[in-house]
Amino acid sequence: MSEPPHLNGSFDGASTVEVRTSASAALIPTLRMIAADLAARADFDLDAISDLRMAVDEVCATLVDVAAPSSPLRCVFQVRPERIQVDAEVQPAQADTVVSTDTFGWRVLQTLADEVEVRHEAGIDGNRATVGIRLNKRPGMFGSDGQGR
Amino acid sequence: MTRADTEYSHLVPLLDQYANIDPTDPRREALRAKLVTGYLPVAQHIARRFVNRGEPLDDLVQVATVGLINAIDRFAPERGNDFFSFAVPTITGEVRRHFRDLGWSMRVPRRLKDLHVSINGVVSDLAQQLGRAPKPSEIAARLGIPVSEVLEGLEASEAYRSSSLDEMLSSEKGSATVGELVGEADAELERVDSRQALRPVLAELAPRERMIVMLRFFGNMTQTQIADEVGISQMHVSRLLTQTLERLRTRLDPETPVI
Repeated sequence: MSEPPHLNGSFDGASTVEVRTSASAALIPTLRMIAADLAARADFDLDAISDLRMAVDEVCATLVDVAAPSSPLRCVFQVRPERIQVDAEVQPAQADTVVSTDTFGWRVLQTLADEVEVRHEAGIDGNRATVGIRLNKRPGMFGSDGQGR
Repeated sequence: MTRADTEYSHLVPLLDQYANIDPTDPRREALRAKLVTGYLPVAQHIARRFVNRGEPLDDLVQVATVGLINAIDRFAPERGNDFFSFAVPTITGEVRRHFRDLGWSMRVPRRLKDLHVSINGVVSDLAQQLGRAPKPSEIAARLGIPVSEVLEGLEASEAYRSSSLDEMLSSEKGSATVGELVGEADAELERVDSRQALRPVLAELAPRERMIVMLRFFGNMTQTQIADEVGISQMHVSRLLTQTLERLRTRLDPETPVI
């Protein structure tokens, strides 16, 4: 699996947790628990903690769905002062797999996360192609004018 | 003589027999089975009274049946009480205990359950004051406990499988504006060009779950705002949303074309 760019070199001062699991739905609860725990320890508000947990759930479920059999799912959590960034990636079963963004699942991700994007990496130098999702979540509403109806 | 007495009167001599039978007697098991089967409608009736609290009826009947078996085993006819006045509280107690203890998917120490209740108790107050969901540090300050304990309590809430406890803690007031808000969210759903057939799948959800999903993902409301409008706790909204998204995922095949 090719190193994603953010893992080349240093961890850039962020508090980083990297987890590799089999790309199996059964392991998603473990990953979402890590996300919720990091957010709670970073003193995110309860809405943001829950949003991040559900977003990681959704990201992992989406990727596990397209992952090649018995391939890994890699999740990198970076805790920064004003946000948590999550990068998740798998090796897709088919090389030309794309994560579609016109689904309800994608709308869920857009609602739950502050930023979310698909990251496709072509296979280079004999490494397999990867498909991934990156999202960023901030600690919560700043003031009461931030979001909401 | 009440109808219940007549209906079950043939079992009364069996209760006497069972109470006095030698524990090693081979006929004991058959006698017990006969009593359990005979009184089963009582357990089923009690279980049904607890439905609509977030637990499946099958599970409730099972728990009530355990209560019934306990009642049959412990009943002492020589004390002169009739079986019903002993069995009904025993069975009801068993079901209540189920809601209190077995709603947790793993064994969670009493202290953590109490912590969950305390945290839940201050969250909505704080949200009202702050105009947003509170942070663990703010909950800790309000309860006068260390942040580490709040984190522990929040983690324990994750282990809480059923919504029954939160259900009981919720005021369930509902708000007059909810209908209006759902209407706006519905217009947004209409506007969103989804290639999935979302509407029929949403229609399969229970009304409250559907409403919460609509308000969160099409009404652009936060969990705390939804909790306030619907009259349940933020943690309950969080749990319902998580469960509902899981269900929607299994129902929405990404390859399903638009109808």
